[in-house]
Amino acid sequence: MSRLHKIISELEEISTHPGRAVRKQMEKTGKKAVGCFPYYTPEEIIYAAGMLPVGMWGGQSEIKQADTYLQSFCCSIMRENLEQGMSGVYDMLSAVIIPTYCDTLKCVCENWKVAVPQIKTIPMVYPQNRATSAGVAYMTDEYRRVIKELEAMTGAEITETELLKSIALYEGYRRTIRKFVAISGHYPKTLNARVRHAVIKAGFFCDKKNYSTMIGELLSELKKVPSEKSEGIRVVLTGILAEPDALLDLFDENGVTIVADDLAQESRQFRTSVDMGENALEMLAYRYAIQECSLLYDEAKRRGTLLKDLVKDNRADGVVIVMMKFCDPEEFDYPIYKKELEEEGIPMLYLEIEQKMDSVEQLRTRIQAFTEMVMHKSLFYNGKENDDVHGY
Amino acid sequence: MYMGIDIGSSSSKAVILDKTRRILASAVVNTGTGTQGPEKVVETALALAGLFPEDILYRVATGYGRMLYGKADRQITEISCHARGAAYLVPEAGTIIDIGGQDAKIIRVDRDGRVENFVMNDKCAAGTGRFIEVMARILDCPIDQLAELSTRATEEIAISSTCTVFAESEVISQLASGAKRENVAKGAHHSIAMRVAGLGGRIGIRPIVVMTGGVALNLEIVRALESEIGYRIVVAENPQATGALGAALYAAECNL
Ligand code: SF4
Repeated sequence: MSRLHKIISELEEISTHPGRAVRKQMEKTGKKAVGCFPYYTPEEIIYAAGMLPVGMWGGQSEIKQADTYLQSFCCSIMRENLEQGMSGVYDMLSAVIIPTYCDTLKCVCENWKVAVPQIKTIPMVYPQNRATSAGVAYMTDEYRRVIKELEAMTGAEITETELLKSIALYEGYRRTIRKFVAISGHYPKTLNARVRHAVIKAGFFCDKKNYSTMIGELLSELKKVPSEKSEGIRVVLTGILAEPDALLDLFDENGVTIVADDLAQESRQFRTSVDMGENALEMLAYRYAIQECSLLYDEAKRRGTLLKDLVKDNRADGVVIVMMKFCDPEEFDYPIYKKELEEEGIPMLYLEIEQKMDSVEQLRTRIQAFTEMVMHKSLFYNGKENDDVHGY
Repeated sequence: MYMGIDIGSSSSKAVILDKTRRILASAVVNTGTGTQGPEKVVETALALAGLFPEDILYRVATGYGRMLYGKADRQITEISCHARGAAYLVPEAGTIIDIGGQDAKIIRVDRDGRVENFVMNDKCAAGTGRFIEVMARILDCPIDQLAELSTRATEEIAISSTCTVFAESEVISQLASGAKRENVAKGAHHSIAMRVAGLGGRIGIRPIVVMTGGVALNLEIVRALESEIGYRIVVAENPQATGALGAALYAAECNL
């Protein structure tokens, strides 16, 4: 196996067996681990406290106990997180930080305290108006509260120097993974949809220092091999996340290359850089203030513009909306950007997903039909039958 | 000679075209994927055309069972095939409504019969052929006489549940409390039309509207749908076979 494929399979292993990966790192470093519920929990602070931040992004297990707290009309990520918490999967964590963006998260934050009492809950409430001075002041206060809780766990102070070092490390990580995202569309075979996802997701379960090194190495190995031609269509993904793997395999099966994404689990995590602030916490708060995501209040409703730009900059043929079933923040955004993309003539495919799906046949038909629709001209006409046909 | 095979959830269809794309044979068998249906429909179509398997230069499979059927040269989705078939029959078609056994689709096509946009119903059976089957069963009426039953209605009993399972118990309790079968049948037809029209609202319906798929044989649904969407509907000739026809047309093109 080449070095390139070895790194890829290591990352795939981490992303498909996160529990194992996290335990191994805890043993190796002697660090405690803190769980980070989606979305935008301040990993930098956990890292500065000398602990390992661990992403918590649901899974594919059978829901048995979580039903007690979350009805079947709650999103599958939260049902999974609670289920796994209740069945002891997360017992290696010393605490979890739970933000309260949407209605489901607000409930989970309370549920967790009773359902998973063995793991300490640290709630985080984010400001609605992020970019005002009051928003920033409030945010830094929230960070300070989290810091106190973490300090009580380790018994050591989290210094400004440590925080700044951690921010620098995270900035480096964000730069590196952005490079990977930018280049992945050039390798539709080696970095197909499933691999691309696994490589990015692995970051949630690694010490970001090691992870950045691995991604850096992956990038330099990639440079040594020629880029690959994509035969099918090029798309931008938008939504919370694109899972399960069976869905990603359908993209590969139909020659769909993911050239960019606007997923909460992927690019939304790292597309924004720190760009101002007089101290570490302000830097974090200001970065948060300019982040763009369906969960964060945005008066300007910029998502449509953002998607249009992603399509244009990456020469994409269309946008695939992976709509997490029962996710209200994502559903609220949809009609607004749908209209804008329609006006621009950008083809869209709407797929409703859950993390665990018993059958993907309907998705197969939709994805295949979308490819046929977008590729129609080149596929069936070849200029032979009808010379004046126009493509999409 | 070119063949299109449409393997659905509850029926299999085959169409054979000659070199000039004239229809030589068209066959329908009422069993679908996972059965002998696909084999049988191919044999029937060949017999009707007086042809042997080796006469077929190219085969395209479509429909829910397209991936499982091993003998096709290519698989193309029923979305593209229904669009192609309907546009061949009605060249001015702007929107195609296809209601099959398990799903409902609305496809918008451009002037050249190419798919512009489409929507499919979600996993559930509301607004599909399955819903009619269930209703026919509780009303104790053969499925091909359900439309006729509904024309004898004196009023409409609205069915408020969209879910097929809930609608079933709703109808049972209506019947138990003395509602007339024909009035319930009318409500059932209307309920499907509402579901499908709602689906259409997601992509917008543009005339001329063509209806394909087995459910188009039920003229009461066609009528109810016309009044819901506000456009006249042209029912494709031999509506069940439209997908197979489209597949056969693609087969002819692929073989160029
Ligand atoms: S934002 Fe959506 S997917 Fe995320 S927790 Fe809330 S409802 Fe679930």
